[in-house]
Amino acid sequence: MKTDLSPRLRVALYGLMCVLLIPFVFPTWWMVTSSIKPISDIFAFPPQLIPQNYDWTTYSKVFELQPFVQQYWNSAYIAAVVTIGTMVVSSMAGYAFARIRFPYADTIFMIVLLGLLIPSEVTIVPLFQMFLKAGMVNTHWPLILVPIFGAPSVFVTFVMRQFFVTLPAELEEAARVDGLGRFKIFRKIALPLAKPALASVAIFTFLHSWNLFLEPIVFLSSADKFTLPQALTQYTDAYGGPMWNIQLAAATLTALPVLIVFIIAQKQFVEGLAHTGLKG
Amino acid sequence: MAQVTLSEIRKSYGSVNVIHGVDLQINDGEFVVLVGPSGCGKSTLLRMIAGLETITGGTLDIGGRIVNDLDPKDRDIAMVFQSYALYPHMTAATNMGFSLEHRGGSKAEIEERVNWAAGILGLEALLDRYPRQLSGGQRQRVAMGRAIVRNPQVFLFDEPLSNLDAKLRVVMRGEIKSLHQKLKTTTVYVTHDQVEAMTMADRIVVLNRGRVEQIGAPLDLYDRPANRFVAGFIGSPSMNFIEGTITAEGFATAGLTVPLPIKAQSHVGGPAILGIRPEHLRLDPAGIRAEVLLVEPMGAETQVTMLLGNTQVIGVFRERVDLSPDTVINVMPDVAAIHLFDTDGGQRLD
Repeated sequence: MKTDLSPRLRVALYGLMCVLLIPFVFPTWWMVTSSIKPISDIFAFPPQLIPQNYDWTTYSKVFELQPFVQQYWNSAYIAAVVTIGTMVVSSMAGYAFARIRFPYADTIFMIVLLGLLIPSEVTIVPLFQMFLKAGMVNTHWPLILVPIFGAPSVFVTFVMRQFFVTLPAELEEAARVDGLGRFKIFRKIALPLAKPALASVAIFTFLHSWNLFLEPIVFLSSADKFTLPQALTQYTDAYGGPMWNIQLAAATLTALPVLIVFIIAQKQFVEGLAHTGLKG
Repeated sequence: MAQVTLSEIRKSYGSVNVIHGVDLQINDGEFVVLVGPSGCGKSTLLRMIAGLETITGGTLDIGGRIVNDLDPKDRDIAMVFQSYALYPHMTAATNMGFSLEHRGGSKAEIEERVNWAAGILGLEALLDRYPRQLSGGQRQRVAMGRAIVRNPQVFLFDEPLSNLDAKLRVVMRGEIKSLHQKLKTTTVYVTHDQVEAMTMADRIVVLNRGRVEQIGAPLDLYDRPANRFVAGFIGSPSMNFIEGTITAEGFATAGLTVPLPIKAQSHVGGPAILGIRPEHLRLDPAGIRAEVLLVEPMGAETQVTMLLGNTQVIGVFRERVDLSPDTVINVMPDVAAIHLFDTDGGQRLD
């Protein structure tokens, strides 16, 4: 960005940026403030941007109404396992597609990429039948296996392949002369150099798993097995109406780790966006 | 150290033949340079010796073992790449000790060998630095350190100086040569730069289109090139070539006659190409008339481009000459230094 802007232009630019910020900041602000408002204040008119009355019991009720700690753990460990599993599978697959010459490699890669074109809604019914037959419905296996070997993994495989293609071939040749076999070249040379790419796809994989909604709804039926996005839908009163303030308190707690990770890893996150060519 | 023998080595990519049966024996401790223009197959040949390219035909023997089907790691060779190929995530010391570490060397042994190599190459102060923190010359030295640290039978260099600036190239040229003199390890060195080849090699192998044109000591190639290609490739500026006919009086071209040594008389009556190196032309009032086109004073010598009959030639004069374009001078070739080549295959006529 140019730094020699005139003061007037600079003010205008910052003003515009503040306006553009509103759609992003307002929902988060509304979620956090509403989580500590009595339910009647949430829909007060004019809207209260700053809470007039505080009700901190919403946060304790989050834990009373649902096994929220268990659900938090479910989301966390599933996201961690999916992230690690996807990194392992996709980095190896990406490396193989980038570096190993095998018959029909490009054709197979194109077929794998086709997986990205099929919406998860289309495959969810056959997947359900498959996992039902395998006795895995109402377990966490579908939430782990589908992302590791499904479309999210295909996307990560594609990103990793693109990264490995750019690694100089001479590095691998030097490693071959130094005495390394194929797998050791991958583990000792290619993988350490892929850290920036791995970090960025790890963030996306974790977020994808953390936010997963359709699959838990389809595959899980017991509250103690629920993940957080699914648990959020359970904060309802006897008539099925949402308990807004408690739901928003749970939503705030759900978003918290993501916000913390984002604040800490902001630089890597932005670099990751640039790296993967994603727009968010 | 080992002898390397290439027998009828061939390489094809599908139906395209790129190396057409190369025979070459590299003696124990010898420094051999493979030289030739881009695409001549010199790097391919080196990579076949390294095991990075498969060998389509023929046999490759290193130290008395046929190694055609062995992996690079089992050939006991070390290679320095054009881009250095240092591992970016490792320090200079780790880069140098990596192969030993992988081959199960003890920590003390690795440290000792790395320090030994660092001492030879003047890298002691740089061992903890990463490649990105090193200059081009330092990276080059680390790459050489990585090669010498495990004392291989053969060193392979693939255009290792081409990424350096001209001044550093001269320095590193000397360092590689003195390293070879210290270690006496059999070395195969690939370059497209004939000056590098001339200054470094015990023997030069000139390659062209996947074939060996000539093998010999640098000055043998310079003084007695086997054909027109070698004559034109070795030497800078290149040898001048003039087409004409051999007559009883000498070499006739465009109304001029250049006297020839007696040995050429057996080819009287036939067309031929006369080759004369730029430094073997001298200014002589009794010489052949030439029109000056370009004068390039280099300090130690002056390079003059001129039109001799219809042919453009270059002369290099050690004496200071005061010439300008469009002037007319008389030059005389040193008769003893004239080369003659046939017009068909460009082979030397002797």
